[in-house]
Amino acid sequence: MKKAGFGLYAGLTLLMMAWGYYQAIYVAPTDAMQGEIFRIIFYHVPLFICAFLFFAISFSGSVGFLSFRHSRPEWAQIADAWALAGAEVGVVCCTNALILGSMWGRRAWGIWWTWDARLTTTLVLWLIYMSYLLMRRFAAGTQVQTLAAVLGIFGALDVPIVYMSNRWWRTQHPAPVFGGASGSGMDRSMAIPFVWNVFAWLAWGILLLAVRYLVERRQQRIAAAEAEQALAGHAVR
Amino acid sequence: MDQAAIVDHQFRVAAYVISWCIQLGYLAWLGYRWRVQKRDTDTVSRSRR
Repeated sequence: MKKAGFGLYAGLTLLMMAWGYYQAIYVAPTDAMQGEIFRIIFYHVPLFICAFLFFAISFSGSVGFLSFRHSRPEWAQIADAWALAGAEVGVVCCTNALILGSMWGRRAWGIWWTWDARLTTTLVLWLIYMSYLLMRRFAAGTQVQTLAAVLGIFGALDVPIVYMSNRWWRTQHPAPVFGGASGSGMDRSMAIPFVWNVFAWLAWGILLLAVRYLVERRQQRIAAAEAEQALAGHAVR
Repeated sequence: MDQAAIVDHQFRVAAYVISWCIQLGYLAWLGYRWRVQKRDTDTVSRSRR
């Protein structure tokens, strides 16, 4: 039953992605100013929305881990699995969105990268979560989860700074299209395909997040069984 | 179609292809991890017996 539900969700997600692609390429009109390169927005912005959402999940998981690590160890492990899954899928989305942004910048501005406020704060966010993942991968000991949770909380504090950066500092990156000053926004003919792509990417991201969470929970159970076995072996000796 | 429009088109296609390579590559890696874990779970349960 669970497998069938998962398969159904995965199938629906793929259909949504295909529909989103159709909307982005065949329904949305070509931008009068930027031409076809503008269509990168249908992947670039939804990927950042996913990244921010997953970093928020990582933040919640980190807070949960720190709150429950003494009182309810099993809940703490579940929270930690969400924190790790959120951080990892968030980094995948953030990396992808940064690459697309760089390609878009190359065509729109003539440069691959600039130390603009939005780009720099996003790079810092990416570096923080990369260090989180590297610590989870290579550090050993009983305090790794606690240290990672603290880093995860501080990393998430950069998300509102990234979001506000092109409102606070007007540098190279364009002003916000949504929720910006008066006159900002997107024509309905582009906004509808955009919304479809946001939903499609969110569905895809949630699929990845769920799989990563299940992988981590299984890893925790294997580690616990191995530790139990090692202790039992030690007791026999 | 002028030269700039052709390059824009190529960049857009490359951007979409790169995105799908990253996303599907990550999903494949998760699938690989899942299979490795299944093997590890079997090993742990065998040595328990």
